[in-house]
Amino acid sequence: MLAASHLVRRFGPRTAVDDVTFEVKAGEVFGLLGPNGAGKTTTLRMLGGLIPPTAGEVLVDGVAIDPTTGPRLRARIGFLTETPGLWEQLTVADNIAVYARLFGMPEVKTAVERSLRRFELWDRRGDRAALLSKGMKQKLALARALVHDPDVVLLDEPTANLDPQTSRDVRDLLIDLRGRGRAIVVSTHNLDEIERVADRVALISTRLVAVGEPSVLRRRIFGRRLTVHLADGNGGASVADLMAVAGRAGAQDVRRDTAGMSMVLDDPDAATPAIVRALVQAGASIRAVFDNQPPLEDVYLRLLDPTTADSPSGCGPDR
Amino acid sequence: MSGRRIRTLVAKELKEFRSNPAAVLPVVVLVVMCVALPFFVLIVIPRVTGESLATDRTIRGIVAVAARTQPHLALLPPGTAAEAFLFQQFLLLFLVAPIVGAVSLAAYSVVGEKQGRTLEPLLTTPITTAELLIAKVLASFLPSLVVEAAGLVAYVALVAAFGEPGTAPALLSARSIVMVGLVGPLASLAALQMTIAISSRVNDPRSAQQIAVLLVLPLVVLLVGQVAGAFIVTTPILLLISAALAALWLALIVFSAALFQRETILTRWR
Repeated sequence: MLAASHLVRRFGPRTAVDDVTFEVKAGEVFGLLGPNGAGKTTTLRMLGGLIPPTAGEVLVDGVAIDPTTGPRLRARIGFLTETPGLWEQLTVADNIAVYARLFGMPEVKTAVERSLRRFELWDRRGDRAALLSKGMKQKLALARALVHDPDVVLLDEPTANLDPQTSRDVRDLLIDLRGRGRAIVVSTHNLDEIERVADRVALISTRLVAVGEPSVLRRRIFGRRLTVHLADGNGGASVADLMAVAGRAGAQDVRRDTAGMSMVLDDPDAATPAIVRALVQAGASIRAVFDNQPPLEDVYLRLLDPTTADSPSGCGPDR
Repeated sequence: MSGRRIRTLVAKELKEFRSNPAAVLPVVVLVVMCVALPFFVLIVIPRVTGESLATDRTIRGIVAVAARTQPHLALLPPGTAAEAFLFQQFLLLFLVAPIVGAVSLAAYSVVGEKQGRTLEPLLTTPITTAELLIAKVLASFLPSLVVEAAGLVAYVALVAAFGEPGTAPALLSARSIVMVGLVGPLASLAALQMTIAISSRVNDPRSAQQIAVLLVLPLVVLLVGQVAGAFIVTTPILLLISAALAALWLALIVFSAALFQRETILTRWR
């Protein structure tokens, strides 16, 4: 539904975005990650048709956004900008109504009511936007971005300034939008949040560093590491013996840790039962076996800087 | 070009003005002065001093010159003709004042959107640059037009109530109507369009205001020149000026749309 093809954006001598290519399908949440100044907002602005790329193109259902198609295609895009940008002297309802009209909604009143009720702002419809809290302003900006029920949704830091409950509401909203077949791009620093909802993520730092499903990226960076926690007493077998057993059963990079051992498996789904059987036969008292899932933050840090310690949070592979 | 989008944005701007009536205050003050100043000079002072305008030889001379192109002045008694002529000239204030007042509204219009960070979300909608700029101009123009019209009604009513008999009908000549009905609004539109164009490129509304107000200078020259009797602008000349102002406005629409660079506004405004 939405495609960025070899996007380049230069501002004078500075290159903000360099050769970024990805596609977002209908019914997909796509996370755009990167450090400050990496070009996330610039990429979103190009995707939303706000600024033209220096090279490359953005396509919505195969149609390139250009000065001719821009107004028509922007009507299919809902864009939450970095700052809410509300007209503070106007009422909550008026802020939405103006956008509903600009997007060509036929039933403005209905659209405004639906939108405000969805974000629990209906009771505040008559208040000036200036009177809302930061979180409510963000909700109003979200309501405004989605008032025309767009096919493509671009969200720049959607949970900035939001409390945990409202952040959760936004996640639920993203899941709902995905269920209704929308193509959603979310730029965020909140890796925990994006990991919960994104089908795929792209890491950009001017250039595209990596793109893929979070689990695939994790596996690519850290492999799939199986952790085996042992109970006290292993039928006389030492942990070192058990590590050797695991190695013979096909495990790689077997390491000892405080609770037992961990190892990398090429195909954990197939190999795990055999490893566990071999360890039990060798006398191991196994307390727990689980896939080690380093957080997306570790993947992010490793991708941005391969020299970064691989497990700042202590959840990565043992050393 | 979508009329609905332009109307929507104009209505939004007007709502913002309503929530902040002080924004329209400069226009109101200037128009009140346009009404009060001539009334004071041409009615109050002669009555207080007991000297009729017709006793001034210079004024009589200027009126005689004006009567060559406005024959109805020659048919009026000297005092009435002088008063009618001078009230006509002061009508030019109604061209200048709304421009000065409305320009302050317009200057803040785009800069205000930028400062409030409201421009970026607005640019995510299907609105085109030309629609945005036309809406901004109309939103500043309409309140000033309403205030100007109210001022004109008050002006004619005061002249009818306190002026010499025959002065008020003489004011309602084709020349006056062209002047306030065509030249005035078109000059306002051109000045506002210029203001909007400039305000899309500057950080401070005052910069736009100061540059755009320069358009008032030719009108001031027109006012002073006429009152001093240096030249008399006839109806055909006023029509030509109107045509030129209309062409200037259209040219400024194109110019301001070219000058308004979305990406510069979005990327350099922090």
